Amino acid sequence: MFFNVNDVQQFQTQKDFIDTVLVPLLSLDFEEGKIKQSSSAAEFLMSLTSFIEQQFKGRLMLVPPFSYTEQTKSGLSITSLKEELNNAGFKHVLFITTDHSWTSFNEQLDILWLPSIPLEFMDSTVKKTVLEEQLKQVIPILSTKWSQS
Amino acid sequence: MSNNRVSRRQFLNYTLTGVGGFMAAGILMPMVRFAIDPALQTHAEGDFVQTSTKVADLTEEPVKVDFSYEQVDAWYKSEVTDTAWVYKEGDKIIALSPVCKHLGCTVNWNSDTAHPNQFFCACHGGRYEKTGKNVPGTPPLGPLDEYEVSEKDGFLLLGKKMANTLV
Repeated sequence: MFFNVNDVQQFQTQKDFIDTVLVPLLSLDFEEGKIKQSSSAAEFLMSLTSFIEQQFKGRLMLVPPFSYTEQTKSGLSITSLKEELNNAGFKHVLFITTDHSWTSFNEQLDILWLPSIPLEFMDSTVKKTVLEEQLKQVIPILSTKWSQS
Repeated sequence: MSNNRVSRRQFLNYTLTGVGGFMAAGILMPMVRFAIDPALQTHAEGDFVQTSTKVADLTEEPVKVDFSYEQVDAWYKSEVTDTAWVYKEGDKIIALSPVCKHLGCTVNWNSDTAHPNQFFCACHGGRYEKTGKNVPGTPPLGPLDEYEVSEKDGFLLLGKKMANTLV
């Protein structure tokens, strides 16, 4: 499911089945030396999350990424974000990011940190293989969460 | 000299009809051409998409086959990659869509150790038999869709998605 009208309407009628939300946390850096790497990481995270969405369309909703820069990061409270999503009816809230600093929240929240892989030089077949490999890391995390409830 | 002489009146009549006819045809031709245009459009291979899988390599074990086509969404063109589970049943090639009929997750072949030789949907534990028939008691309410298949130069071609014909 994506965060669009059609899918959200389906979510409202099928809350029993669609119980997981995937929240990308996206770090943006506009500094001359880092902007290119930042865009590459963003591309990777966006491709990977839509690929995960395709695989688990019926149980997982992918929300638009929460983007921040080094300066605005402190304004983003992911603990209260999780609570709001829980109240909306999502039993499982999973954050996914390429920014290592979020792993400090690992105790209280489900943060999935993945190192960014530059996809821009790959042709589409290689890209797909890389994303499939990454997906294999996500599947066990989701199935453990789902088997708990 | 011939006996039936053409009078001045007749000559003018013939010439005018001839020239008028050409002019009318010149106007009507493009109009007719436009009217029947859809019927003249050639459909390349009847909308079949070529895959990189050789028909000779297919076995009775379903394999994942990726295929891409261009999708136009308003002004935005994008390359879409879809997947099919393809296997041979005797001499017949069967291509099933991996989209679960419950809520649209992607199903996998043989991925659930408790139920081998079935398509399994990790989202809500939906299961399908090899023909795509949904296992009763699991969430899906219908069988997996099927793709039209064809062959060209030894390679597999996939066509339109249709309702399952095996169940």
